[in-house]
Amino acid sequence: MQSEVIIETRSLTKVYRDFWGRQKVQALKALDLEIRRGEIFGLLGPNGSGKTTTMKLLLGLLFPTSGKALLFGRDATDVSKNERIGYLPEESYLYRFLNAEETLDFYGRLFNMSPKVRRQRVAHLINLVGLDLAKRRQLKEYSKGMTRRIGLAQALINDPELILLDEPTSGLDPIGTRNMKDLILDLRDQGKTIVMCSHLLADVQDVCDRIGILYQGELQELGRVDSLLEIQDVTEFRASGLSKEAEAEIRQVVEKHQGKLLGIGHPTSTLEELFLNIIAESEAHPGRRVRSGEGAGDGS
Amino acid sequence: MVLEKEIPVFVDWIGGASLDWVIAVAIFAVVAMAVSLLFAIVTRGPIRGVAGVGKAFLATFADVFTMSPRRIAALVWLAVKEAIRKKVVVGVAVFVVVLMLAGWFLDPSSTNPGRLYLSFVMTATSYLVLLLALFLSVFSLPGDMKSKTLHTVVTKPVRHSEIVLGRIIGFTLVCTVLLAIMGVLSYFFVVRGLYHEHTLTAADLAPAGGEASAGEAEVPLVGMTSKEHGHRHEVYVDPSGATRTRYENGHTHAVTIEGSGDQVRYRVGKPEGVLVARVPIHGKLRFRDIKGIDKEQGINVGDEWFYRSYIQGGTDAAAIWTFTDLKESDFPGDRIPLEMTLGVFRTHKGEITREVMGGLALRNPDTGLTVEIEIFESKEFITQKLWIPKQIVKYSNRQMIVQKYETPGGVKTKPTEADLDDSLAKKTEFDLFKDLVTPDGRVEVWLQCLEPGQHFGAAQPDLYLRAGDASVVWNFVKGYYGIWLQVVIVTSFGVMFSTFLSGAVAMVATIGILIAGFFTDHLMELGVGPKYGGGPLESFRRLIGQDNVMTDLPAGLGTDLVKMGDQLLQPTLRIMSAILPPFDEFGCANFVANGFNIPADFVLTRTFTALAFFIPLFVIGYLFLRNREVAR
Ligand SMILES: Nc1ncnc2c1ncn2[C@@H]1O[C@H](COP(=O)(O)OP(=O)(O)OP(=O)(O)O)[C@@H](O)[C@H]1O
Ligand SMILES: [Mg+2]
Repeated sequence: MQSEVIIETRSLTKVYRDFWGRQKVQALKALDLEIRRGEIFGLLGPNGSGKTTTMKLLLGLLFPTSGKALLFGRDATDVSKNERIGYLPEESYLYRFLNAEETLDFYGRLFNMSPKVRRQRVAHLINLVGLDLAKRRQLKEYSKGMTRRIGLAQALINDPELILLDEPTSGLDPIGTRNMKDLILDLRDQGKTIVMCSHLLADVQDVCDRIGILYQGELQELGRVDSLLEIQDVTEFRASGLSKEAEAEIRQVVEKHQGKLLGIGHPTSTLEELFLNIIAESEAHPGRRVRSGEGAGDGS
Repeated sequence: MVLEKEIPVFVDWIGGASLDWVIAVAIFAVVAMAVSLLFAIVTRGPIRGVAGVGKAFLATFADVFTMSPRRIAALVWLAVKEAIRKKVVVGVAVFVVVLMLAGWFLDPSSTNPGRLYLSFVMTATSYLVLLLALFLSVFSLPGDMKSKTLHTVVTKPVRHSEIVLGRIIGFTLVCTVLLAIMGVLSYFFVVRGLYHEHTLTAADLAPAGGEASAGEAEVPLVGMTSKEHGHRHEVYVDPSGATRTRYENGHTHAVTIEGSGDQVRYRVGKPEGVLVARVPIHGKLRFRDIKGIDKEQGINVGDEWFYRSYIQGGTDAAAIWTFTDLKESDFPGDRIPLEMTLGVFRTHKGEITREVMGGLALRNPDTGLTVEIEIFESKEFITQKLWIPKQIVKYSNRQMIVQKYETPGGVKTKPTEADLDDSLAKKTEFDLFKDLVTPDGRVEVWLQCLEPGQHFGAAQPDLYLRAGDASVVWNFVKGYYGIWLQVVIVTSFGVMFSTFLSGAVAMVATIGILIAGFFTDHLMELGVGPKYGGGPLESFRRLIGQDNVMTDLPAGLGTDLVKMGDQLLQPTLRIMSAILPPFDEFGCANFVANGFNIPADFVLTRTFTALAFFIPLFVIGYLFLRNREVAR
C-alpha cells in the first residue's frame, strides 16, 4: 500500500533576481519530487546547489518563480500547514536575548499551546536535547552545538508530522551526531516524515531511506539509498565453515558441496563514491541527467 | 491661549469623519486591488492572475480574523523583551538628566512659571518618547530579517497580521510605561520647581491708610511678604483676622495668623493656583464695523497672522461674543468670572503711561437691552479677570441697541426698531439672568475700544466665562494621553514602513511623515490656493519672473504648462493633507501649559483620529509583510 504524499513539488523553479529584476542565479530548475509519510528523505548536493533554496520554497519563506510546492496538499505559502511542520534552519536563527526555556515557551505560544502543555513540552524537549544544565542561560552564551540542540528542540515543539532539517548534524560533536541520528530514526518510527539536507554523506547513508542529489539546481539522482548503492554487475558471496583450500574452488564448492551459504548479493559502494561520481559526471556532461539507479522504490 | 482651530463637537464630527474615512479607505483599497490585479495579470496571465488575487484577498480576511490572542501576546512579549534588551530605560535616564539641567535654566520668577515649566516638560517628554517609539518600531522587523530570526517565527502558524500587530502593541506598551514614568517625574518636577514659601512678620505690616491713632486696634493692616521667586505678595489683614493675599504671577497664598498681640505669627501657606485647569465657556464671535453693521471679521492692522481681528476705538465697532445655553444653576456664587486676553494696536502713542481704555457690555439679543458693566484698562496679552455680578447695580451706561446685518435686500435690524421697548433701559437695577440673558440662555458680551485711533484685537477663544476648574492632575494625565496617541501613530507608521523598507529608510520615511504631518495645514493652504496669483507653481513662476500677482501671465505654452501643473498638483496636495496624520492637532501641551482643561471633545476626536490611522496602517503593514519573501 502506498502511503500518503506529504510533499509534492511540480517543476518547482526559483530564480533569484536583484532589485531591478535582473536575473542573478537560477537556484532551482524544475524540481519534481514526491515525499511520502514515514520516509526519511535526504537532499544532497555540493555547496550552492539549491538545497536550502528548496527547503525555503517548501516552507513558503520564498515564493517560487514558477511551479508549485504542496505540503499536505496545501500551497507552501499557506500558514495553516505550519501547524504540522517543524523546521531546523541552516543555522539556528533564534533570539539571542532569550534563554532556552523562554525560547521554547515563546515558540510554543506561537502554536497556541496552553501553558500546561507548554510546560510539559518544554521540559521534555530540553531534556531530550540535553540542555538541562544550560536552560536558564541566554542563547548568546551558547556554543554552536548547543545552539543546534536548542534549534532542534524548537523544531519539535509542536510534535510535528513533517520535519525539515537543514544540515542537522553540522556543529555537533560525535555523541551529538549519534544522538541526532538516533532521534531521526526514532521520529521515523513514530511515523513522522523527515526531510534533511546534509554534506555529511555517512550520516545520510546511515539514516536516509531515499535521497535526491542536486547539482546546480538540477536533480541528478533520485532513489532508495540501498538500491542506489548497489553495484548491479557484481555478485557477492559470503560464506563460512570453508577451508582455505576450498576457496579456489568456491563456485563449485558452493554448488557441489552444499556449503552453508550466508548471503548472496551485490557489493555496495559508499555513498561518498556515488556522490563524487555523479558530480564528476554532471560536470563532464552538463545538462544531462544521470539517474542510474532510477526506478527501484522511487515511488513515482 | 491661542486656539487657531475650533475643536469640533465629537457627536457632530464623528459621522462626517467616519464617512470620509470609509471613502478614503475604500478608494485606497480599490486602487490597491486594481494595481495588484493588473500586476498579477501581467505576470501570471489573466486566469491565474485573477484567481491568485482572489485567493489572496480571501486569505487576507482569514488572516485578520483568525488572529489568536495568545500568539499576539507572545509577540508583544517578544517586542517588550527586545526593547528591554535595547536598553530603552536609558531614555528615562536621559530624561532625568534633562530635568536636572532644566532645573538650572527654567526661571521660576518669570511672570507665568507654570506655563514655562509645563510646556517644557511636556515638549521634552514627547520628543523623547516619540524618538524612542520611532527607533524601536523602525529597526525591529528589518533587524529580524537580517538576523533571519524571522524565518523561525514565520514557519510557525503565525499570521503575518499578528507579527505586525504584536510589534505595534509591544512597542506602544513599552513607550506607555516610559511615558508614565516620565509623566510622574515631570509632575513632581513641576510642582517642586514652582513651590516656594514667603515669610511675613508683624514688622512687614502697617495700618492701611497711613497713620492710625494710637489705641485704635480696629484698623486693617497691609504689607508685603518677603521676595521669593522674584515676587512679593501684598497681604491685607482685616481687623476680624481674615486675610487676603494678592495674586502675583498667577498664584496666591493663604495666610494664617497664630497667636495675638506681641506673640502674633503669620504663616504663609503653599502657592495656590499655580497649576489650574480652567473650564472655559466659549461664545461665538462676530464683529461690528464702524457703521454698526455686523461683519464676520474686524479689520486687519497689517498682521501676517490672521488670528486676531481688530476693532477701531471710539467708534461703533465692537467684538461680540454670543454665549448660549447659560443656566443660572451652572454658576454658583453671586458673580460670574470672565477672563480675556486682548491684542492692542496703537496708531498713536496716546497717553503712554496709561493703557488703552476699553468697555465691556452685556446685551440681551432678543430685547436689545445693553448694559455697560465695566470700563477697564487693557493689558496686552495678559489674561485679565473681570466679574459679571448677577445683580447689576453699578454700571457706566445703559441703552437699547439693535443688531444691524446685511442681507441681499439691504440692511436689516434685529429687533426691529418698532419692537424696541425703551422702557427696559429706564430701570436702574438689572438682574443678569432675568434682564440680560434670554429665556433660552443666550447673552452677548460686547467689547469696545474707547479711545479713538487705538484698536483692540480679539479672536474667539480670547474671551470666555470661567465656569469652574477641573482637576489639574487629571488634566495632566489627559495631556500625556495626547502624547500617547502620537506614540501609537508613530509606532504604526514605523512598523508599517519597516515591513518593506530597511531600517534606516523606514526611519527616514516615518520622519518624513511626521514632519509633513506637522504641516498638513500648510499643505492644504497650498492645495486650495490663494485668491490671487494662482497655485504653487504659478506663484513660483511669478516669483521668478517678478510678476505682479494681479496681472495675467503672458499667454503661451509656458503659462499653460504652469497652470496645468497646478491643476494636477493642487488636488494632490489637498489629498495629501487630508491623509497625512495631523500631528499639530494632537499637541495638548498648549492646553495644559496655559492652564486650560482639555475638553472631552478634543480627547474623543483625537482618539478616533489615531484609530483611523492605526487600522489602515496595520492592514497595509500586514499586506506588505505577507507578500514579501521573508528569506530574501
Ligand atoms: N538570497 C539570495 N539571493 C541571491 N542568490 C541566492 C540567495 N540565496 C541563495 N542564492 C544562490 O542560490 C544558489 C543556491 O543556494 P542554496 O543556499 O540553496 O545552496 P545550498 O545547496 O543550500 O548550499 P550550502 O550547502 O552551501 O548550504 C547559490 O548559487 C546561491 O548563491
Ligand atoms: Mg544550505
